[in-house]
Amino acid sequence: MVRLSRRAIAKYATDQITSGADTKKLVLQLAAYLVETRRTGELSLIIRDIQFYLSEAGSVSGVITTATALTAETKSAIEQYIKKQTGAKTVALDSFIDPSIIGGVKVSIPDRELDATVSRSLTILKTRFKKARN
Amino acid sequence: MSFISYIAETAVAPEASNDLFSALGIDWRLLVLQIVAFLILVFLLGKFVYPWLMKQVDERQTAIEAAAKAAVEAQASAAESHERVAELLAEARTQAAQIVDTAKLEASQMVSVSEERARSTAEKIAAEAKTTVEKSIEIAKRELHDETLELIALATEKVIHTKLDKKTDAALIASALKESK
Repeated sequence: MVRLSRRAIAKYATDQITSGADTKKLVLQLAAYLVETRRTGELSLIIRDIQFYLSEAGSVSGVITTATALTAETKSAIEQYIKKQTGAKTVALDSFIDPSIIGGVKVSIPDRELDATVSRSLTILKTRFKKARN
Repeated sequence: MSFISYIAETAVAPEASNDLFSALGIDWRLLVLQIVAFLILVFLLGKFVYPWLMKQVDERQTAIEAAAKAAVEAQASAAESHERVAELLAEARTQAAQIVDTAKLEASQMVSVSEERARSTAEKIAAEAKTTVEKSIEIAKRELHDETLELIALATEKVIHTKLDKKTDAALIASALKESK
């Protein structure tokens, strides 16, 4: 089987998604190809590349992490924020709840990340105090 | 007739000569004979014995004079040697005194150097100990500071956990988004 580069695979998958192809079938094809060519270890990198190409095409996908469940209003505000920051037409977000971040939100999109969590603020505070002491 | 026989004959007939010698009881022949024998003896002694004897005496005198001279020279030499020994002893005493003084001075200097080294070492050890103590104090302070910070952060987390509800969290997120713009 022909060995394609990671970028070529990501580009192909992006083109298929943007052209409205069957995503379930696309995922199966991609998985079969990676298993056949023994490149399953590159899956996370390929997904990241696909997200990058999709964001270039105006479709941003990302992950939101919060301490409590988001309200629809807050989720909408975050989507608007992402659209404004990236110029994307569509935004697809996966939400995760992680109580260890205490409060606030962490937004991860391709090539960008907004960490406005309370745990990070506390960590920054501790680091600054330690640096100031030293 | 031999001379001896003649003398013997004259001896047995003393009454035949009645002169003065006879009156005195002196036999003039015997006297002459004795004089002649004495002169012969003197001649022989002067000829053979005295020269040898004088030579021996002269040699003896020369030897005695040489011995005396040697004794004088030996005495002078002994005196000179004595003086030389005295000079050497004095010089040796001087040198010994100088050596002792030098040794005392060196010993004093060594003691001073040792004291200085000991003082320097003690000061160095004290300074190192002081530095170590200061470092330990600084580390302890830093650790205390860090632990205090950790405790404050932990306490803050607990407080926020109890105080932060959904509404507040939503407001917090909205504020963060607004600030990030």
